[in-house]
Amino acid sequence: MKFKYYFLYIILGACFLNISCKKYLDVPPINIVNEADLFSNASGMQLYLSRMYSQMPFEDFKYSPARQFFDDWLVTPGTNEGSSLGRDAGEAMTSEGWARNGAYWTRAFNLLRDANNLIEEFPAYKSNFSDEEFNHFVGEAYFTRAMVFYALAKRYGGAPLATSLLRYPPEDGKPLEIARATEEETWNQVLADFDKAAELLSESSPVKGYVNKYVAWAFKSEAMLFAGSVAKYNTFTGFGQKTKVRVVGFDPANAAEASKKYFTEAYKAANIIIKSGKYSLYKKKGGPGDREGQYQNMVDMFFDASSPENIYTKDYKWPDLAHGYDSYNIPRQLMGGNGYSAGNCPTLDFVELFDGIEKNADGTIKVLDNNGKYLLFDNPTDIFANAEPRLRAYVIFPGDMFKGIVMDVRRGVYTGSVAGGIAPLRTVNGSTNYTIGGPQTYNQTDAYTETGAFAGNKSLFLSQNGTTHELVTLPDGSKMNGGGINGPFGTSDMTAAFTGFMVRKWLNPNMAQALVLEGRSEQSFILMRYAEVLLNAAEAAAELTLAGASSPDGDDLTTAAYEAIRSIRERAGAEPLVGISDIAGAQGLQVIRKERRKELAFEHKILWDIRRWRTQHSDMLNGFTQADGAYYRGLYPFYSSVAGKWFFDAGFEEARKRFRFTQLDYYFAIPQGEVNKSPVIDQQPGR
Amino acid sequence: MKKIVYYIVSSIMIAGVFSCTKIDNYPEPKETLRGTVVDAATGEPVLTDQGSEGTRVRMWELSWTAATPENLDFFCMKEGVFQNTKVFKGNYNIRVDGAFIPIVRLNADGDTLANESKTLDISGVTETEFRVQPFLKLRWEGTPTVADGKITAKVVVERAVSPADFRAKIEPMGNYSDDFLNVTDVRLFVSQVPYVGYREWDNRYTTTIDYPGNSFEAQLGQPVTITTGNVIPSGRTVFIRAAARINYATEGIKRHNYNEAVRVDIP
Repeated sequence: MKFKYYFLYIILGACFLNISCKKYLDVPPINIVNEADLFSNASGMQLYLSRMYSQMPFEDFKYSPARQFFDDWLVTPGTNEGSSLGRDAGEAMTSEGWARNGAYWTRAFNLLRDANNLIEEFPAYKSNFSDEEFNHFVGEAYFTRAMVFYALAKRYGGAPLATSLLRYPPEDGKPLEIARATEEETWNQVLADFDKAAELLSESSPVKGYVNKYVAWAFKSEAMLFAGSVAKYNTFTGFGQKTKVRVVGFDPANAAEASKKYFTEAYKAANIIIKSGKYSLYKKKGGPGDREGQYQNMVDMFFDASSPENIYTKDYKWPDLAHGYDSYNIPRQLMGGNGYSAGNCPTLDFVELFDGIEKNADGTIKVLDNNGKYLLFDNPTDIFANAEPRLRAYVIFPGDMFKGIVMDVRRGVYTGSVAGGIAPLRTVNGSTNYTIGGPQTYNQTDAYTETGAFAGNKSLFLSQNGTTHELVTLPDGSKMNGGGINGPFGTSDMTAAFTGFMVRKWLNPNMAQALVLEGRSEQSFILMRYAEVLLNAAEAAAELTLAGASSPDGDDLTTAAYEAIRSIRERAGAEPLVGISDIAGAQGLQVIRKERRKELAFEHKILWDIRRWRTQHSDMLNGFTQADGAYYRGLYPFYSSVAGKWFFDAGFEEARKRFRFTQLDYYFAIPQGEVNKSPVIDQQPGR
Repeated sequence: MKKIVYYIVSSIMIAGVFSCTKIDNYPEPKETLRGTVVDAATGEPVLTDQGSEGTRVRMWELSWTAATPENLDFFCMKEGVFQNTKVFKGNYNIRVDGAFIPIVRLNADGDTLANESKTLDISGVTETEFRVQPFLKLRWEGTPTVADGKITAKVVVERAVSPADFRAKIEPMGNYSDDFLNVTDVRLFVSQVPYVGYREWDNRYTTTIDYPGNSFEAQLGQPVTITTGNVIPSGRTVFIRAAARINYATEGIKRHNYNEAVRVDIP
C-alpha cells in the first residue's frame, strides 16, 4: 500500500522536473500592453508619449515654487518673484522643502528612463513608421531629455548625466551609480539634446500637445540664456566632497568663453523662430493708439487658442485634467464656494515698473502733493487713468471692472478735516514714519487710535475682516463700511487684496461665480509664447554686444534687440523708446530686463530670471536686500468722507512678508537621503 | 505524541517572540567635543554670530566606515566657543569655517593647498583649539551713548590679517580679485536679547552703512560713528553689537566679524 504512494510521489515529482526545463510558461503576458505593442503604430506611440508628457517638468497651473511640480494646490504664479504676494505664499523660496511630491531630484529620473528607453529600444521598430514619423518620435525623446536636464541644471547645477538606458543586473563594467557631472557638462548636454530634438522633430506638431521644431528652439533659447547668465554672473563654485567634481558653477578660467557660447546659441535659436515668421504678437483687438484694444489684446491672448503668439501650451479639460487657478486667485468679492480668494496680490513695486503713472523723482508712485499732503481723486481709478494698457490687463486696480462688476477696494474711510490737506496717515504719537520702524498696520496710527493730533477725534474707520465692519455715516446720510468688499483688512484677514491690488492675468473673465472652485478651471497655460522668444533674442543680443562677440548671423545685434523690445512695447501700449540708444550698453541691458519683468510676470519665468541674473540676493529693495531680508510695498486706497474724494497711501505692505535669500540658495540642496545612500552623489559644496 | 507537538510548537513561538528583542547595545552618543576658535595672532577668541552666517563647525566621523561620512554641522556660540555634548565615540575630522582665512583651501582644480582641519579621537570630554586668521577685528571706542531713544556708538574696524598675507593664501585658490579685501559694510545690530547678530536683529533700529568699492580703506583703524535708526521706546533694554565684513565669501557666505555685545538701557 505504502509503496503505491511512494511510487505516485516519484511520478508526480518527475512530471514537475520535466516542465521546469521547458519554457512553456515563459511567454509575454497577454493581458498587459508591452513595448512591441506600443512601438507598433502611431496610436501606440501616443500612449507612450502621454505617459512621458504627464511627467514632464512643465511649470504650469500645477506648479508653484513652494510645492514644485504636479501639485495644483495654491498655485499663485508671481508670489515668489516679487510681482505679487499671497496669503499662503510670498517668500523667497530657498528650498523644495514644501514639495509634497518630493524634490524634483528624486522625480526626474523616472522620466529620464522613459526617454532613454525610447531612444535605445525604438529603432528596432523603425519599419513600422515612415521616416518622418520615426524621426519625430525620437525627437520627442531628445526634447524630453533636454527638459529634464534643464530642470535639474537650473535647480541643482551639475546632474548625473544618465544618457543611456541603465539595465539591471548591470552589464559588464557599466555601473548603475552615476556621479554628478560638472555644471558646464550638464548645460552642454542640455544644448546637445535640444539641438538633436530640433533636428529630428516635425515642422509642426502632428498631434495637438506634441512638440515641434520651433518649441524645441524656443525652450533652447530660454535654457541657453539661463546657462549663459550663470556662466557670466555666478560667483559661487565648488567641488563635490566625494568626487572632487565641480558640481556647481563654472571654472573661472573658461566661464567667459562658455557664457559667450551659450548666449550665441540662445540668440541663434530665438532668431530662427523670429525669421521663420510663423508666430507673431497677439494684436487681434487693436493696434497703437487704441488703448482699449491694447488692453483687450493682453487679456484675450491668454484664452484664445488660435493666438498666433502661442508656441506651446499646456491644455486642460474639465473633468479629466483641471486646475484651480481661478479659485485661488479670484478677487474676494467674487469668491467661489471653496473659500479661497486673492492668493495673488501684485505689489506696488511691480506696478511702479510700468509707464503712464505719475511718479516721484525716485520712481515711486506720486500720492502726495508738493506740500506733503495727499493728492485727492474723484474716482479711485483716476490715479491709473493713463496707465499702460498692459498693466491694466495684468492687474485689477482699485475700483476697476472685473466680470462686469466694480471691484471695491478700500482700506478705510477718513472722516477728519481736509482743510489744508490730509497729512500722511502712518503717524504714531505725532511722528510720521514710513520706514520699517513705522506702524505696521493702520490700526496703530494716530487717526485710528485717537492720539496726537487726533486726540479725542477718531478720524479713521477700518474693517478688521470681511464680516466685522466699522460703519461711517456719510454727509448724505448713507452708510459706508470702513473697508471695501475686497479689503484690504490689515493682517487679521488676508483673504483680501492686502497690497491694494489683485491679479487679472490668467483669470477667466467669463467664468460663472458658482464654478470658481478648486479643480474646475480649464484654461490653458502658455508655457512658451512669441513675446518670450523676442525677449530672449534681445537679452542674448545685448549680452553678446557687451561681451564684444560678433553677431552669429551678421545682423546688427543692437538693432535686433531694439526691434524686439520696440514691438513688445508697442503691443503693450507702453511709451515708445526714444531710439536705439535706449537699448545700447549696460544700461540697455537693464531696459531689456525690466521689459521682461513686466511682460512675463505671473508666468513662472521671472523667479528664474532673477536667479540666473544672480540679483535676487543683492538687488536693493526698499532699503534692504534679500540677503538681509527685504519687504515689498502696497498702495492703500482711502475715502475721505468730508471731501467725497479718494486718496492713496503708499508704503510697506501691512503683512510685512519677508523675503530672505542668500547666495548659497541659488543651488537647491540635493535631498540628503539621496546623498547618504549613494557612494558617488555629492551634496552641494558649502551645504 | 500530541504533547511533543505542543512542546515543539510552543518553543518555536517563544523563540520567535524573544528573537525580536535583540538589545541595541551600541553605546549612546555621550562624548563631548568642545573647543574655541582663536585669532592666531593674539590668542583672543574670534567672536561670531550664532547661526549659519557665523562660524560653522563641521565634523566627519571617519571611524564609521559603512558609508562616506556625513556632514555633522553645528555652530559656534557668539563668544567663539563651541560645544557638542552628544557625540558618538570615534575618530573625527573637524573643520571650522567663518569670517577668517579658510583652514581647508583647495585650488581651482580641487587639489588641496592647505588643510589645517583636525582629526582626533573623541572620547570623554575632548577639547581642541583652532588658530585662525580673522579678516577683521572690531572694538568699541568709548561707551555707546543714548540720546532721544537712539544709540550712538563708535566702532573701530581693523584688519586682523595683512593684505599681503590674505593674498598669499587666497590667490592660489583661483579667481582672485583685489576687491575681496574691501570692507563692504559696517553694521550696528540691535536686539532685545543678548544673542544679537545677523540672525537676531531688530530691523527697526539696526543700522547698516554700505561702503562701495574700497572707500572704507581710509577709515580702517579710525572710529566710525554709527547711530541706530528709529526711536527705541524709553525703559527698554537692548543689546547692541557691531559687525563688519569684507567682500569675500567662505563656503558661499560673506560672514561678518563682530565685537562683543553690550547692554544698553534706554532711559
